[in-house]
Amino acid sequence: MNDQLSLIRAAADCLSLQLKGRKPVAGIVLGSGLGKLADQIEDPLVIPYGQIPGFPVSTAIGHKGNYICGNLGDKCVIAMQGRIHYYEGYGMDLVVLPIRVMISLGIQCLFVSNAAGGTNLAYHVGDLMIIKDHINLLPNPLIGPNLDVLGPRFPDMTRAYDPALIRKAEKIARKERIAVQKGVYVAVSGPCYETPAEYKFFRLIGGDAVGMSTVPEVIVARHAGVPVFGMSVITDVAHATEDDDYVTDGNVIVAAANAAADRMTVIFRRLVEGL
Amino acid sequence: MDARIEKIHVAAEFVNKAISPLLLKGRKPEIGIVLGSGLGRLADQIEDPLVIPYGKIPGFPVSTAIGHKGNFIIGNLGGKCVIAMQGRIHYYEGYGMDLVVLPIRVMMTVGIKKLFVSNAAGGVNFAFHVGDLMIIKDHINLMPNPLIGPNMDHLGPRFPDMTRAYDRSLINLARKVAADQGITLQEGVYVGGTGPSYETPAEYKYFRLIGGDAVGMSTVPEVIAARHAGVPVFGISVITNEAHDDYAEDYVNDGDDVVVAADAAAVKMTALIREMIERL
Repeated sequence: MNDQLSLIRAAADCLSLQLKGRKPVAGIVLGSGLGKLADQIEDPLVIPYGQIPGFPVSTAIGHKGNYICGNLGDKCVIAMQGRIHYYEGYGMDLVVLPIRVMISLGIQCLFVSNAAGGTNLAYHVGDLMIIKDHINLLPNPLIGPNLDVLGPRFPDMTRAYDPALIRKAEKIARKERIAVQKGVYVAVSGPCYETPAEYKFFRLIGGDAVGMSTVPEVIVARHAGVPVFGMSVITDVAHATEDDDYVTDGNVIVAAANAAADRMTVIFRRLVEGL
Repeated sequence: MDARIEKIHVAAEFVNKAISPLLLKGRKPEIGIVLGSGLGRLADQIEDPLVIPYGKIPGFPVSTAIGHKGNFIIGNLGGKCVIAMQGRIHYYEGYGMDLVVLPIRVMMTVGIKKLFVSNAAGGVNFAFHVGDLMIIKDHINLMPNPLIGPNMDHLGPRFPDMTRAYDRSLINLARKVAADQGITLQEGVYVGGTGPSYETPAEYKYFRLIGGDAVGMSTVPEVIAARHAGVPVFGISVITNEAHDDYAEDYVNDGDDVVVAADAAAVKMTALIREMIERL
């Protein structure tokens, strides 16, 4: 068997055993500072990545490295508390491994969240942005022999973010009186933050927010035909980087993400409950 | 010796040996042609074809993309001896850039004086329609550069010029032939992306904003390797899907459609390239 497939199968088999018969219907990737949603998962089973064969240990600030499986509302979900980032030096195969493992377990929907810099000048720190589309400036995770059992050689990306889930999220936001933006997420490798000139570049090409994750995960989910919903918390904004004394600081970003966590948690929770 | 040079030489020697009956008759491939997705029909027009499967050539990987075979075909087209690549090696298949451009460098070592490249591409320009042919007048490379690494000085310079990557006189010839044959040609800038997932609508818009007219997953590395060695290039794309601003609910971008659209335009392209070669 293909090495990559064996890696996915071995990890999925191990995780499946530890889930003791639970069948999660949705996968959730908890981005920077958004770990609060994890606290709302009832009857949680926590499986550290370190216990799963082939998994690297996530190192980013604000991240832990665990799968958490339990109930959100009346739905069984599996959440990734901490993701694997490309900037940590892992190959794309590893970056998307946890997603493929969740897909192997049978999730029917993937929810992804992240902290992102706002390139759209109308955005403010703490804004929530529904991801309506992306521009991928990272290496494509599907480069290499196609894993035909997972999906097609040339997957369509016309509607990478499920239009029905976007409509539902907008409805929830209106009902809960949560303001949301809707925009295009630009994915870059990092790990240095973007220069003001780069922010301008991303704005010129149609980007509304920029971050260092999410898109590889979305591409492999769509490769496998799994519908995706994505949301960003805007943790810093483009125009601020033009100020003489501006510094982009990772801790400030985590604080901004934490401040928005309650609003985002409500939207994700309601979306999952409505599945 | 540099392992990459060794590899090119071993493969070129194999090809030279395979075509030695032709060489003995004083026929030597002078033009290289890369046949893109679904454009294999031009291969059927090559007279007295000698077929060398890539699998038999030392160091060659086997091409896996849909709509592609993996052979060199050597024979006569438009009265000239040509070597055609039926199937190319794509970066998205997971091969390193050295392998992606290996067949081009082998053809150059065998002695081609000009390179014709073709591909199937997505229309970025709103004015393009499925089945249109687009002369590639320039490109934007969003793939890794195939010349990264120690320079192979005997092939070309460290910093090759890309001001006229696509030969002006070949473009003029194409315009003339197209006018004579009543073929309408678009002209534009080809954006080379890695794939293999198709582009999102936001990515299409990005490519349009930066000046792209069509987008595909090949060609540019080959052109860079050829221009590094000073070989003039002519490039042409078949537009296999149209750009939209707003996508219909049921729109899907699908590889089978790409092959079908490319086949339909193949007749026009075959006639064009054949006649261009004849008039060279």
